[in-house]
Amino acid sequence: MSAALLEACEVTVRFGGLTAVDGVSAALHAGELVGIIGPNGAGKTTFFNAISGVQPTSSGRLFAAGTELTGRLPQHFAAHGVARTFQTPRVFAGMTVRDNVRFGMAFAGRGRTGAPGLGSEAEILAMLGLQELADRLAAEVTPSQQRLLEIGMALGTRPRVLLLDEVAAGLTESEVEAMAQRIRRLRDEAGLTVVWIEHAVTTLLRYVERVLVLHQGRKIADGTPAEVVRDAAVIEAYLGDEMAEQA
Amino acid sequence: MNLSLFSSRPWLWLAAGTALAAALPWLASEFIASVVLSCLMYIALAVSWSTFCGATRYLSLATSAFFGLGAYSTAMLVDVLPWPLVVLAGAAVATVVAVAMGAAVLHLRGTYFAVLTFGMTELIRHAVTFVEKQVSGTVGRVLMVVPSEATVYLTVLLIAAGAIGCALWVRRSRFGLALAGIGADEQRAQTLGVHTRNAKLAGFALTAAFAGATGAAMAVRWTYIEPAAVFSPFIGFQTVLIALIGGAASIGGPVAAAVVFSLLAETLRLQLPYAYMVVLGLLLIACVIWLPEGLASLARRKGRVRP
Repeated sequence: MSAALLEACEVTVRFGGLTAVDGVSAALHAGELVGIIGPNGAGKTTFFNAISGVQPTSSGRLFAAGTELTGRLPQHFAAHGVARTFQTPRVFAGMTVRDNVRFGMAFAGRGRTGAPGLGSEAEILAMLGLQELADRLAAEVTPSQQRLLEIGMALGTRPRVLLLDEVAAGLTESEVEAMAQRIRRLRDEAGLTVVWIEHAVTTLLRYVERVLVLHQGRKIADGTPAEVVRDAAVIEAYLGDEMAEQA
Repeated sequence: MNLSLFSSRPWLWLAAGTALAAALPWLASEFIASVVLSCLMYIALAVSWSTFCGATRYLSLATSAFFGLGAYSTAMLVDVLPWPLVVLAGAAVATVVAVAMGAAVLHLRGTYFAVLTFGMTELIRHAVTFVEKQVSGTVGRVLMVVPSEATVYLTVLLIAAGAIGCALWVRRSRFGLALAGIGADEQRAQTLGVHTRNAKLAGFALTAAFAGATGAAMAVRWTYIEPAAVFSPFIGFQTVLIALIGGAASIGGPVAAAVVFSLLAETLRLQLPYAYMVVLGLLLIACVIWLPEGLASLARRKGRVRP
């Protein structure tokens, strides 16, 4: 069996007395589209921060395609093909939309070819529907366009694994749907491994084939959406009876 | 002065300006040449400071330390080495110290970084004073053999032109992009693959090299070198002031501000010794309130009205 593109083994993150992520293990394989859900404060974002090098882990180990990256900095994760977005877009406001996408190409993405259809900044901008805005400053585009650009910056590093942290937050219903389809295309057409945290659980469950459920820092379920919504622990922790009936 | 004009063909303007300034000592009076020398010194300091500190927003107050180290290495070496090597030695000493200092403080941001660079500058000044007193048994050094005034002038001119050329090159380079990314959002830049620590160390060292070379060249103007004078914190403050008043994100801004500042300093220091600092203070306050991005933003605003 080939090594997982990104693997977390018993990852724990503590902030003083609080354990935000508690012994979570997960292996993410090539071409998977995985959702991560959980109530507020479940440790979803902290887990993302840990598996992208942004947050040092208290214990546990991390591997990218077989290379150990435990304790390494974000640039090493980026160099091993792990790209991420942030919940609040952190685009470079003073640079143009195009230069934001190019930035990653000049660093982590340098010397890599990128996924099919996502090799150049023109392709990435077209994929995100931002080509018209290429020469505008990132500060001048709307918040939902900045969310797309946030993904564009990550794609600029020509990654194999894309970690999306609530990219649909604050979008209208139709925008959420468009975003979900785009995420699906990133996996289907470009073959990326996509891990997606989202609060809009119902949309997310329709698009992913595997979902991890975090609760109080622990992973309480890992399976297909159909399995997860029937899981008693998940229902109790998070979803409520209403969701189980719908599924 | 229309700054946007300079941004269209910067290399041409740099070459023309350098050639013009090079002829000056033979054309103008000694007083004017000395004012221009002071302009050039502050251009070198402020432009090289902006190249790193302006792009990354790491506000360093350590310019005095690098300047002083350059001056002291001249005091030790001017009798031993040929002049170009003396200046290069000043740059080298400052670079080595900057790498050590940067490794210790470049993980801090904002006020902490500014205060620590200032503290380390004071530390270096006191360390040099101590060593001079205890080991060398002196409080200052007299420079006996110094190069001609024209040599000093041309050296500082070359350093200033080099600082501008370097700033132009950095802006277009991948290194400059890394510095800009660090200034915009350091962690985001990291997640996109920037080795931020190396980039910051290299940038800090680059700034120090120019400050060290400037100190090394200017040292011979004093003939008597003592720590209080060459490590004067004012050199560091004035560099920061000029860069901020000019607009640290640009190159033309600090150049223009260095010229204005030196002219103001020379005239006011002679006419109204105390009003000089008052005027500077008022200028800074006015800039912070009305021109937070410095004089350079004036040129940009103008450019936007008439595209």
